[in-house]
Amino acid sequence: MSDFIQKFKDTFIEKDRWTYLTDGLKTTLIITFFAVILGMALGFIIAVIRTTHDKTGKLKLPNIIAHVYLTVIRGTPVVVQLLIIYFVVFGSVAINKIFVAVLAFGLNSAAYVAEIVRSGIMSIDNGQFEAGSSLGLNYSKTMIYIILPQAFKNVLPSLANECIVLLKETSVAGYIAIADLTKGGDFIRSQTYEAFMPLIAVALIYLVMVMIMTALVSKLERRLAKNDRR
Amino acid sequence: MIDVKGLNKSFGKLHILKDITETINQGEKVVIIGPSGSGKSTFLRCLNLMEKPTSGEIYVDGENITSMHQREVNLMRQKMGMVFQHFNLFPHLTIRKNITLAPVKLKLMSREEADEKAEELLEKVGLADKADNYPGQLSGGQKQRIAIARALAMNPEVMLFDEPTSALDPEMVGEVLNLMKQLAKDGMTMVVVTHEMGFAREVASRVMFMDGGRIIEQAPPEEFFSSPKNQRTRDFLSKVL
Repeated sequence: MSDFIQKFKDTFIEKDRWTYLTDGLKTTLIITFFAVILGMALGFIIAVIRTTHDKTGKLKLPNIIAHVYLTVIRGTPVVVQLLIIYFVVFGSVAINKIFVAVLAFGLNSAAYVAEIVRSGIMSIDNGQFEAGSSLGLNYSKTMIYIILPQAFKNVLPSLANECIVLLKETSVAGYIAIADLTKGGDFIRSQTYEAFMPLIAVALIYLVMVMIMTALVSKLERRLAKNDRR
Repeated sequence: MIDVKGLNKSFGKLHILKDITETINQGEKVVIIGPSGSGKSTFLRCLNLMEKPTSGEIYVDGENITSMHQREVNLMRQKMGMVFQHFNLFPHLTIRKNITLAPVKLKLMSREEADEKAEELLEKVGLADKADNYPGQLSGGQKQRIAIARALAMNPEVMLFDEPTSALDPEMVGEVLNLMKQLAKDGMTMVVVTHEMGFAREVASRVMFMDGGRIIEQAPPEEFFSSPKNQRTRDFLSKVL
């Protein structure tokens, strides 16, 4: 037992090593937060482009671009995308690494969000579109006030899941030397030569965050479900 | 007020509507009957361009809607209310919001005016106490009455009904038909696709029988039901009456 306490002290208390974890956590949360916003915004736009094309035949060129985008992003690993954005796209300019990470994870997430939202829009009965347009609402008003709110509610669990996946995916940010939570734990390990404590701590922190997010989402879902018991 | 000239509609190789020419005047209550697959719903849905005609022209108040830009089509639809078989209420909105959404978002009324109008319409359809409920909490008959109120909120010149009672439990058909009868009495121009022969007999100013994508026969209801001229009409009536 005293051995355990000693290891705990060495790992976290000695030289204030716990700050690697808290600072790392902060970085992880910042990257996740902004990447989620970017991913959701871009993902919604792509989804609307794709469904508008499917339903009306308009937006041919944007649809092709979106299609290529989805194929490339979903067909390559996120680490490779991260490395390419950092070393190739921004290779010759000095740039904030956090920004690069937000961009890489946001662009990656957008592809998955787009497909989730698209399936949500497609799941809405065509009668809803018809009801909207029979009242004289144009396509975009029908989309904004009638279709998207329902689609959003339907895909909320999947979107929340995507956020959780994204949070965990940011753990590869260390590839471009960002001191995120994972990197923080690994840094402690390299100093103390003791792997168990810091890595389990890192895992626990991720787990707790995911559990909190899951709880928040199911609360939100229950509140939304109240509105339309069918 | 609605002039249809040489209307054809095909879905792929399936030729649904065959060269239909027809006029519907203001104040008329036209009831369209016919076997399933006869094209009666498609015909109705062409009138406000829910279906795009393959060829032919449709004039509403003298304007050719088949050559209109989308923006004008949307304006045209504002004066043509439509009621669907499956209600198509907006499940994420309260009854009041279902009724006020279009008038408010199209800036035809302020929120207060629209709420007032909704109140008045809910009174008319006998569901004033449901304003803050969601569609999911209503019975089928109630939903359809709300759907009618929603269409009426736009102050349409004509109402199109696409089998409004076909998805209802039998005991709920009456309440919807009664509301439609009341609407007819108020002088609304109506085009109704239905299987309710009693309604056709009582309310129609003209009954139209469609089969195989054509209008086979039409007449005022007394004449139509007592002495149908066409053999196919007689066959159909002998099965449904």
